[in-house]
Amino acid sequence: MTRRLWGIALATAALGAMVVAPGPGAAADETVTLTVGLLQDIDSPNVTAGYLVSSYEVWNLQYATLTDKAADDFAITPGLAESWDASADGLTYTYHLREGLQWSDGQPLTADDVAWTINTSREQEWVNHYSTTQNLTATAVDDLTLEVVSAVPDPKLPMLDVYIVPRHIWEAPSNDDITTYEALDGVGSGPFTLDEWKPGQEWIMKANPSYWQGAPAIDQIVFRLYTEGAAMVAALESGEIDAAHDVPAELFGGLQGRDDITAVVGSQGGMTELGINAGDGLGDGHPALKDVVVRQAIAHAIDRSALFDRVLLGQGEAIDTLGVSSDPVWNPEIPADQQLNYDPEKAKQMLEDAGYKDTDGDGIREMPGGGQPLKFRYAERSESSQAAPIREFITAWLKEIGIDTEVSVFDDTQLTDEVANGTYDLFVWGWTPFVDPDPMLSYFKCDQVTTDANNPLYNDASWCNAEYDELYAQQNQELDRSKRVDLVHQMLTLFYEQAPYVVLYHDADTQAYRTDRFEGWMQQPKGTGPVLFSNTSPSYFHLNLIGATPETTPATGETTAPGDTTATGDTTAPVATSPAASGSSDDDGSSTGLIIGIIAGVLVIGGGIAFAMRSRSSRDDRE
Amino acid sequence: MRPWFVVRKLLGAVSTLAFVVVVNFFLFRIVNKDPVSKMFRGRNLTQEQLQQQRVKFNLDGSKWDQFVAYVRQMLHGDLGLSMKSQRPVTTVIGEALWPTILLVGVSTMLSMIGITIGYRAGWRRGSRYDTTATSLSMLTYAMPEFWIGMVLLGVFAAWLGWFPVGGLEDPGSHATGVAKLLDQFHHMALPAIVLAVAYIGEYMIVARSAMIETLREDYLQLARAKGMRDAEVRRRHAVPNARLPVVSLSAINLGFVLGGAIAVESIFSWPGVGNLTQLAIRGPDFPVLQGLFLLLSAAVIFANLIADLLYGKLDPRVAGR
Repeated sequence: MTRRLWGIALATAALGAMVVAPGPGAAADETVTLTVGLLQDIDSPNVTAGYLVSSYEVWNLQYATLTDKAADDFAITPGLAESWDASADGLTYTYHLREGLQWSDGQPLTADDVAWTINTSREQEWVNHYSTTQNLTATAVDDLTLEVVSAVPDPKLPMLDVYIVPRHIWEAPSNDDITTYEALDGVGSGPFTLDEWKPGQEWIMKANPSYWQGAPAIDQIVFRLYTEGAAMVAALESGEIDAAHDVPAELFGGLQGRDDITAVVGSQGGMTELGINAGDGLGDGHPALKDVVVRQAIAHAIDRSALFDRVLLGQGEAIDTLGVSSDPVWNPEIPADQQLNYDPEKAKQMLEDAGYKDTDGDGIREMPGGGQPLKFRYAERSESSQAAPIREFITAWLKEIGIDTEVSVFDDTQLTDEVANGTYDLFVWGWTPFVDPDPMLSYFKCDQVTTDANNPLYNDASWCNAEYDELYAQQNQELDRSKRVDLVHQMLTLFYEQAPYVVLYHDADTQAYRTDRFEGWMQQPKGTGPVLFSNTSPSYFHLNLIGATPETTPATGETTAPGDTTATGDTTAPVATSPAASGSSDDDGSSTGLIIGIIAGVLVIGGGIAFAMRSRSSRDDRE
Repeated sequence: MRPWFVVRKLLGAVSTLAFVVVVNFFLFRIVNKDPVSKMFRGRNLTQEQLQQQRVKFNLDGSKWDQFVAYVRQMLHGDLGLSMKSQRPVTTVIGEALWPTILLVGVSTMLSMIGITIGYRAGWRRGSRYDTTATSLSMLTYAMPEFWIGMVLLGVFAAWLGWFPVGGLEDPGSHATGVAKLLDQFHHMALPAIVLAVAYIGEYMIVARSAMIETLREDYLQLARAKGMRDAEVRRRHAVPNARLPVVSLSAINLGFVLGGAIAVESIFSWPGVGNLTQLAIRGPDFPVLQGLFLLLSAAVIFANLIADLLYGKLDPRVAGR
């Protein structure tokens, strides 16, 4: 008896607690909060340790950079430095910092902080800094003047977009291993700084009034984690969050028709490719794939637009050149007569002419002169939901031109291993590039082909081409941008024509935001990029509450918007007005709902308890 | 209870745990050769940088050296660094423990109503109470957790808006103390109900069949012959004897409490151990996975040990053997 009573008491206590629990946001809240839903937590707020997109968003907001990038086209704009001069040889740059710069904790931000960050990141090879700072040496001439010397001509300069950290905070932990520093100090120079991180739940960033462009119009941003895309979309639709990043493609279509939500497809140059083992590395790649004709025939056999429409559901960009940058200016136009378009008849003809004939009549071609059939190993990634449908399409198309495949499924670690050992023929994987095309271009140089399986390098097509390497070396030191763009276009055209990759499409971020609370959303780059999680994420600073609207239902999207969308960032007027109005109406709805919900819950669980107790009333029956 | 019985059970638990540690270590080293180069694919890192990372995660040197280092660290309460966040694994798992204990613990308690229902149903086998309870239990037992979860989420959170869509607390909440706990209870309501509904059936069915087993026993006949009332017979003679299978089920389930509930935690974005496991698998974050396996195994082994010892107390025949 006591045992049962104990159980019931516990259940009742739990229910009681649910009953008195307050509704969401019940406390009157004057702070203007933007809530962003996403599916990926930050891995580490430490800029020398994290590497996920979410962490980059934290640093984009927390750390201002020496030079900034325009929201529209990534053009270089002043940042912490208001101007800079180059030496005649282009190896030395002198940056002039703004006067009166401050860290969010009130300490002065000087050229010394910048020099320390650049030099320390080079010495300690910080993961996110090193590729930019490896050839740079910085000297603080005085508090406002910074001299940067590059050991080699570097076309990326004068852009210096590495995150500058406060020396007075970071010098202390750097003596041992700086990467294990927790970095929850929240001291930065950007528009928002990290206030609190609840791993697995959310992180909160608060406005930094000492940001060099002025205080942002919103007070804090909550990045709220969801583990299910459907739950995140539900939260967006109910107004629990203001924007959502990485909306699953199958749910994205449903958001596109709504007038209180804007859905954005933002490309950053990420792509998905069919990688081909071109045979210049280790292992036992199929000999036919060393032949550029076979690789081109494969490209002709694949209907990229069908993949784009049916696998990506049209949410991306139907581009089939190598994605090397978030900036579309680097994407070449392939001349019509060189395009490897979907044309299975042409593919068959090419193979036929090159001597790959089906001599034994089994529908599969053999190597010239008979012998080994064209049967390729196809590695499918277990960690991608698109992998299986892509494989179904591609293997069928290859069959059509007389090429057989043998599919194996690998997780990414195993596939890295297969690629390192060269024991693969075809695989489907993807890359996401930086803004500067150099790193992505460098991955396909001959010296990036793996020669020691225990030491895997980046060239996963095992493709080596002297002309490509030559062009790479030229663009790497070309300081004239338009000439460099031209060189990169030549490289990408060559890469396309040689077909070590058949690029299937460029991926896109699918994002959505509510149009009834904030305005000032900016795509980066303009027109094609995402609004959040872009390269420098300019949106947050430029967001404003839509002017006081007394309406209670958030369904009407296109109401009058007196706010300033040109966003100079100094407008503070509309801040204090509307959150109380829209906030309190939400509360009414949810607390009435809450009471009904609790009654329902009590009925269900109370019913269960009553049912459990029921036979008491008739317990004397069997005496 | 004989001391030898206790000692034997303790030794069994410790050796199982040692076995788990060994398997746990080598399993993850076999399935992946070089997690570091995969993790930094496309990051433009030099070979020296990659080697630094391998040293940091105890992935360089021979397997045996790595194992010795791993065990030495573990004995000092150090499970290494998460490959994803580079924070100590013990911290990462520690943060996920409270939400899981709260959610799975409370719902396990709630679902123990099923035991009472099961005893009563078994006692009156074939009655209307029994048929109703059994068919309801079969129904809830057959419904997958993620399905109930999606339905409740869709109706009560997304459509009616009575409950939050997910998470442990309100977005950006700085609440503390009682307000914080109440907020957590509000967020917990839906997932806890889902789990309770899913488990009630299991408890009910086990308790019912255990009760039916005892119905045939002679001592019940004897008790009735002594003139005891029916309810008295059930409480004093039937229930104690029907307790064994229920105790072992409860113990095992309590062991799994620490493992969290992967499906439900992931639907409701509940930042618990189940969710962490799912994320660690997706990473893959091997040090965290190793830590989670160890924690889960230890919890189950410990719960089983308790069940074994309780067995000995509940049924002296077991301890005497």
